[in-house]
Amino acid sequence: MATAKKISLSEEELVNALKKQDTIAIKALYDMYSSALFGVISRIIQHTEVAEDVLQETFLKIWNSAESYDSSKGRLFTWMMNVARNLSIDKLRSKDFKNSNKNQDIENNVDFIDQQKKVSFNADTLGLKEMVTTLKPDFKNVLDMVYFKGYTHVETAEELNLPLGTVKTRVRMAILELRKKFN
Amino acid sequence: MEEVKAYIESGILELYVLGQLSAQECYEVEAMAAKHAEIKAEILAIELAMESYALENAITPSAELENQILSQLSSPTTEKINAEPKIVSLYQGTNDAKIKTLRFALVACLALLVVSVAALISVYSKLNSAHDQIASLSTQRDQFASTVSKLEFTKAGMENRIAMTETDEWATVKLAGVKNSPKAKMLVYWNKNNKNILINYAAMDLPKTDQSHEYQLWALVDGKPVSLGVFSENAKEAVKQMETIEKAQAFAVTIEPMGGSQNPTMEKMIVMGGATI
Repeated sequence: MATAKKISLSEEELVNALKKQDTIAIKALYDMYSSALFGVISRIIQHTEVAEDVLQETFLKIWNSAESYDSSKGRLFTWMMNVARNLSIDKLRSKDFKNSNKNQDIENNVDFIDQQKKVSFNADTLGLKEMVTTLKPDFKNVLDMVYFKGYTHVETAEELNLPLGTVKTRVRMAILELRKKFN
Repeated sequence: MEEVKAYIESGILELYVLGQLSAQECYEVEAMAAKHAEIKAEILAIELAMESYALENAITPSAELENQILSQLSSPTTEKINAEPKIVSLYQGTNDAKIKTLRFALVACLALLVVSVAALISVYSKLNSAHDQIASLSTQRDQFASTVSKLEFTKAGMENRIAMTETDEWATVKLAGVKNSPKAKMLVYWNKNNKNILINYAAMDLPKTDQSHEYQLWALVDGKPVSLGVFSENAKEAVKQMETIEKAQAFAVTIEPMGGSQNPTMEKMIVMGGATI
């Protein structure tokens, strides 16, 4: 409880500084969250240079649209994570990126098929910790697609040929397992 | 409570945290969270799990990128100057050329406008003088035309008068002015064979009438006046045929209201003359 309180308090300070456009917030923001956000972005965009561009865009957007963040609706990190994910997905779906990454798409597909066949999965290439691979593959696939690959839950249901309710349940189960690990 | 539990288990809160819901759905979730503490707690738990998950899988970006991002953000003015000049200068380049072209076009347009207005003014003044000339020419033409028609009219009358003097068939009756109009005079031609009566505008000089009156020719037959018809001051034909009369001792002209009268107005008699065939 003590640590949780300390985090939320510091988050409150961070939010205030961010809203006031206090330059102290920049350094704190970067120190605390740049690697976590870069982790999120790198899952979606494997091309390092492009991922770095997106990280830069993400911080710029967080900084410039701090006004629009409402702390009553969720945690700061959730908001930042979704900014990073949306920018990553936009980049992934942009025309120029698609054109320059046709080859990589095939690799991704091979990866994906490997996971489905339960062939041993080299998490290090994607920067994943061992913990992720301990999720049940069915849950993991769904979370992967929604969280890492930029699919919407509707697109995921179509892609995996599953009912929408099942996709929702599997996302929930996957996150529940993560909660067991962390909380 | 069952409702809240089912809502939590539907998985919608996970999608909410993952940013997968529409604005409307988000609004619904936020309304539910405000109403039920369990839902708010559940959202927080999901958020913390995803946050821990992200921190666990963090990848540290290069130090170079850190400097780049921090310097970009710490000076908002340079951020804008750094971020935009590339784009702005590119656009300015093309815009300059465009503006230059447009300026030339504008100057050309203005010059053309000035020339056009000058030309228009000169043409307009020429047109006005042409109109004036046309008007004066047309007045002159009308004058000539009326002169010519008068001459034609007189010529026809004169020809008839000459013809009358050269034949024995027609008797010429001279009507002279009475005391009201001593200067008035007129000739009446009377055919000896078929008793036709002709008058000739070239052979009359009668006092003018007003618009509501005209002349009436009378024959005096055995002391009674007989109307031979009316004639007006102006006519298209120089020679006019009147009523035929078998015999008459005298002819007279009176001024009568338009259309003529049954009996002559004696005090309005202007010419009179005795006749014998």
